Amino acid sequence: MKKITVDPITRLEGHGKIEIFVNDAGEVANVYFQVPELRGFERFCVGRPVEELARITPRICGVCPEAHHVAATKAIDAVFGVEPAPAGRRLRELLYNAFYVTDHTTHFYILAGPDFIMGPESDPAARNILGVIHKVGLETGGAVINLRAEAAELISMIGGKQIHPVCGLPGGVSTAVTAEQQERMVQITAAQVEFAKFSLQLFDDVVLKNNDYVDLIKSDAFTHETYYMGMVDENNKVNFYDGKVRVTGPNGAELVKFEGKDYLQHLAEHVEPYSYLVYPYLKAVGWKGFVDGKDSGVYRASPLSRLNASDGMATPLAHAAYESFYATLGGKPVHATLATHWARLVELLYAAERAHELAADPDLTNPDVRTIPTGIVGEGVGVVEAPRGTLYHHYKTDDKGIVTNVNLIVGTTNNNAAISMSLKKAAEGLIKGGTEISEGTLNMIEMAFRAYDPCFGCATHTLPGDMPLQVVVKSESTREVISSAKRNM
Amino acid sequence: MSSTLVLGMGNPILSDDGVGLYVAERLRAGPMPDGVEVRQSEVAGLRLLELVRGYDKVVIVDALCSGREPGDIVKYEASEFKGGHRYGSAHSIGLHTALELGRRLGIPMPEDVTVFAVEAEDVETFGEEFSPPVAAAAEKVIDLVRAEVGAG
Repeated sequence: MKKITVDPITRLEGHGKIEIFVNDAGEVANVYFQVPELRGFERFCVGRPVEELARITPRICGVCPEAHHVAATKAIDAVFGVEPAPAGRRLRELLYNAFYVTDHTTHFYILAGPDFIMGPESDPAARNILGVIHKVGLETGGAVINLRAEAAELISMIGGKQIHPVCGLPGGVSTAVTAEQQERMVQITAAQVEFAKFSLQLFDDVVLKNNDYVDLIKSDAFTHETYYMGMVDENNKVNFYDGKVRVTGPNGAELVKFEGKDYLQHLAEHVEPYSYLVYPYLKAVGWKGFVDGKDSGVYRASPLSRLNASDGMATPLAHAAYESFYATLGGKPVHATLATHWARLVELLYAAERAHELAADPDLTNPDVRTIPTGIVGEGVGVVEAPRGTLYHHYKTDDKGIVTNVNLIVGTTNNNAAISMSLKKAAEGLIKGGTEISEGTLNMIEMAFRAYDPCFGCATHTLPGDMPLQVVVKSESTREVISSAKRNM
Repeated sequence: MSSTLVLGMGNPILSDDGVGLYVAERLRAGPMPDGVEVRQSEVAGLRLLELVRGYDKVVIVDALCSGREPGDIVKYEASEFKGGHRYGSAHSIGLHTALELGRRLGIPMPEDVTVFAVEAEDVETFGEEFSPPVAAAAEKVIDLVRAEVGAG
């Protein structure tokens, strides 16, 4: 057997390592996907006042601090048994949707863009953000930067800071916004809606009008029939901030819909000796290994999953985009992993529209942004839809609110089993016995991976950094390196 | 008047990774010449581009994991960043790419970028303490940055 190591993967958050074992016939035998472990997170948190976790957990990693801040704040509400004041809740949701606009935009243009706009097998020297702006025009690049700056401005008006918000307190947020700030927020979010529409149009022009890309998206190598998880409102529409967690099956039917606080009744964790990162699965279905289908408890939690697990989007333009998504891809559910990129743009439009609705709310400047808690429950779960999947924060405290126990299930962890499966299937589809393994082939295997926008920053509580890529083909029997490719090392 | 940004980067709760933030905090507490600003950043990538826009000179302080001896201090100039534009992650494009992207988009980017990097011993344990070699190096970097920006 030969071994191919993709270590670490380019253009993903954190540090991961892929090992592909190839048998003597040159065919893929197995794929292992590993992440390093960081130590001492729970120990770091225990003994601190629970309200500090809203400021500590966002520092696990710099990629989605807002998601951790909001999930933590909701968990802290529950620890103190307090319902957030409506005006405070509204500001949290507005901040959160503005963050989604930034995160999804960045993903599409920086991470997915190079593969689709430049082409998966294009010259690696041009397959990057610089190539993308060269091709789509400097104006678009400038628009991305401008959108990020404006979203950061909005987030800092509510969050108090641009990067790590500090507004979330049990029962609401720390400060109200002024009429002047509201006016600016309406302006910013209106521009976000226009940008989201433009991005969907760009996807239509560049990807959907190219048959090769559509074939690639629909191809079996990038398809898995799994369960899908996503948070929905009372009408089963996608909601990032609050609602119930809904899980639908490979056939599209609802398996279960539960309150976030009951997550342990529905999810269990499988452990493999070669990985620090656990593999959550659906208890009701059970762990059957790294396989898909209705009898396997493997589920996915991603933009595609949220669309599959819902009955639509709660805003008009995004709902129209949702309908067109399923009409084009042959109905619900869509199992094509690479369609996640399109789903992400549908969500981008929803986030922008929802942020605009909230910004324009006549009650936005209501000064009663916080309900002061009067008691303590001592345990709480906060759940939000993070861009990379459902995010669970679960805290226990003593009767003074001092942390005794912390458990997190982060977006990427939900997808751990599915990512491993997607890598294996893509590798099997692309690496055949006797063929030369090109850089383009390896990039296409990574595409299966990047669709999830995996972020091991907080999955293992580690941090993002610059990632070179090494590919090693080894004989399993002799462990000899048969061939290797390196980039950026 | 020319403007300079001293930017301490890192993660404050991941042991040695907090060294850049600590150096910035110490520098901010002391006198700085006119036109020199000191800031901290816990994130990199595109947010870095946004932070450095408009400055003439930027001095970055960060932790480094390169296999050197813990506490070793390495000084880089922007012209030495020969890394490609592809590596890095979605939200964490490299410094070189961030600067180049900014320039191509017509955003004023600093001409002069200097990085002081401190080789870390441990960036994998949650904590707010530095390892002894990094704690010692932090004091030296404070002096180096002061000299770099003319603060004596």
